[in-house]
Amino acid sequence: MFCGNCGSPVADNANFCGRCGGKVAAPAAAPQQPVHQVPAPVYQQPASPSAWQQPVQQPMPQPVYQQPASPPPAQHQPVVSSPASTATAMCQWCHAQVDAGQLSCPMCGATLKISGPMRDRAGWSKVPGRKDMAKIQFGNSFCQIEGAYVPVADMKLAPEDKIYFTHHVLLWKDPQVNVTVMSLKGGWKRLFAGLPLIMTEAQGPGHIAFSKDDPGELLPIPLQPGQAIDVREHLFLTATNSVTYDWFQTNIWFKTRSGDETETYYPVGMFMDRFMAPQTPGLLLLHAGGNVFVRELAQNETILVKPTALIFKDPTVQMHLHFEHPSSFFSSWGSWGNRYLWLRLLGPGRVAIQSVFERIEGESRNMTNYSYATEMRW
Amino acid sequence: MTDPSHVAGAEAFERLQCQWCQSMNEKAALTCRACGAPLDIRNLVSESGWREAPRIRDMTEIQFSSSTCQVEGEIVPVAEINLGANDSIFFEHHVMLWKDERVPLTVMQLSGGLKRAFAGMPFIISVATGPGRIAFSRDATGELVVLPLHPGMELDVREHSFLLCSHQIGYSFIRIKGLTNILFGGQGMYMDRFITTGAPGLLILHGYGNVFERRLAAGESIMVEPGAFLYKDSTVTMNVEFQKLGTGFFGGTNMSLARMTGPGRVGIQSMYVHHHTD
Repeated sequence: MFCGNCGSPVADNANFCGRCGGKVAAPAAAPQQPVHQVPAPVYQQPASPSAWQQPVQQPMPQPVYQQPASPPPAQHQPVVSSPASTATAMCQWCHAQVDAGQLSCPMCGATLKISGPMRDRAGWSKVPGRKDMAKIQFGNSFCQIEGAYVPVADMKLAPEDKIYFTHHVLLWKDPQVNVTVMSLKGGWKRLFAGLPLIMTEAQGPGHIAFSKDDPGELLPIPLQPGQAIDVREHLFLTATNSVTYDWFQTNIWFKTRSGDETETYYPVGMFMDRFMAPQTPGLLLLHAGGNVFVRELAQNETILVKPTALIFKDPTVQMHLHFEHPSSFFSSWGSWGNRYLWLRLLGPGRVAIQSVFERIEGESRNMTNYSYATEMRW
Repeated sequence: MTDPSHVAGAEAFERLQCQWCQSMNEKAALTCRACGAPLDIRNLVSESGWREAPRIRDMTEIQFSSSTCQVEGEIVPVAEINLGANDSIFFEHHVMLWKDERVPLTVMQLSGGLKRAFAGMPFIISVATGPGRIAFSRDATGELVVLPLHPGMELDVREHSFLLCSHQIGYSFIRIKGLTNILFGGQGMYMDRFITTGAPGLLILHGYGNVFERRLAAGESIMVEPGAFLYKDSTVTMNVEFQKLGTGFFGGTNMSLARMTGPGRVGIQSMYVHHHTD
């Protein structure tokens, strides 16, 4: 396929040209194909553990979850364009097939030619370096990511493009950019830091910029049609309006009792956000604290992570609580002293964690009941 | 300004001496194998004598006994340990970020440890034993300070500042003496003390913001904001003193500063978040 504007070759699935930035009209005959050509497994309700439940609030039909292209592990090494025929490279971060001549991924802004190890020895990939002022395109709009410490997402919206965001992340905007409250279907009664969550929508043309008040990283996550992603709450920054927003109950909780007082805690939050691009590709921006690492779990591969460090996971990844009891000579230490609380993630799929995490509230209390959990006693 | 003192002799051996920890490295090495400091960058020393702790490059690997540590990330760095079969490390349990399921955990026996509590939780030092992987990080922006400890070293560290320590090093904690020091010292009642025994070991601290180190001569002293104190050699004494700030009107106010007196090293952090021990 070639760009209609400047004539340079573009990947078949590109929605804009990497060289001139012009919008690439999808050929009418061939509807936008997702990047990942893997036969799409329908997202299925995992059989076990029982604690994992299909979100009941889901108003839309069962999302067809497009398995992200999971290349064999060998291919996971830093992506270099194969010198041979195709001359396409795979973006390490978003797995988009991009022209090998590009320096940064037009979908997510990640640097494509990386020297040095991107993947650590344990299998975590660090989010690829993004040059300061890296530009991402979506539709006819641009997003420039500025600053490396507390990054700002600076959007230049085309007249026809819309994005939505939670109002407290707005940093600045042109006066003419129209911001309205998004009409929300269904259960929008979630509390957001004690306030009713308001989703606001901005319509181009004009500039609008977002940031969060923590040192950390901005994560651009391009979603292909049919692809969905589950995000821990309060990490969302902004998304294009081609991305639908939904939420489900995590069903990860524990109850504590102290005297007559009982309390329920949700280590990964009571709800989790699910973002999905139903028809057209979309862009999702998250903000995570500290540094971000992502890894792909194979079928039935597990990893224990701090619950509050989780950023996102593919919907195929199951999660539940895991208690670990270190061996100790004396156990008269109250109920908890030798008990660590983990989130156990079970593949297949991607998971991402951040290096800054809050302490898990209530971890030290006397637990009376909890959602499905595995246990290890050393 | 660079510190020329460590450079001269090193070339003759066809080996590179790390300016941060003084370990010898192969000439081709880019980073110090013992502490991860970049070897191609000279010491950054301010005119007043503070040396900046080396910024460890992303994905740098550090070796200790049969284990390796990889430092990842530059905003809030993660220390990821690949433990060798007979190696173990100890840490405060709340700094664990992720681990392999099969890495065993035990609890270190401490005399008097029950009296100490960290933000309402009992103060527990956990021990992880290899083989396997386990990773640690802290709750705020800062840098990792890698301190390889050689036999005969004794280091005092601000409480709750250490991220992990290898098993060759003895851990204890000391009660800070003097009511003034406790109340106005800005760092609570205890200090962690790390003492090497026969074998060298590795200690990794997490400093909030940037970390600077200065070596005091015998009898030399410096006043430090108590909250900024991060570590010191046990030969350095610390005493909180008051400085009267008169306003010219009534009273004025007191400011407390810690007087650190040499000989030995003093490490400070540029930002601090103190976790109080009750």
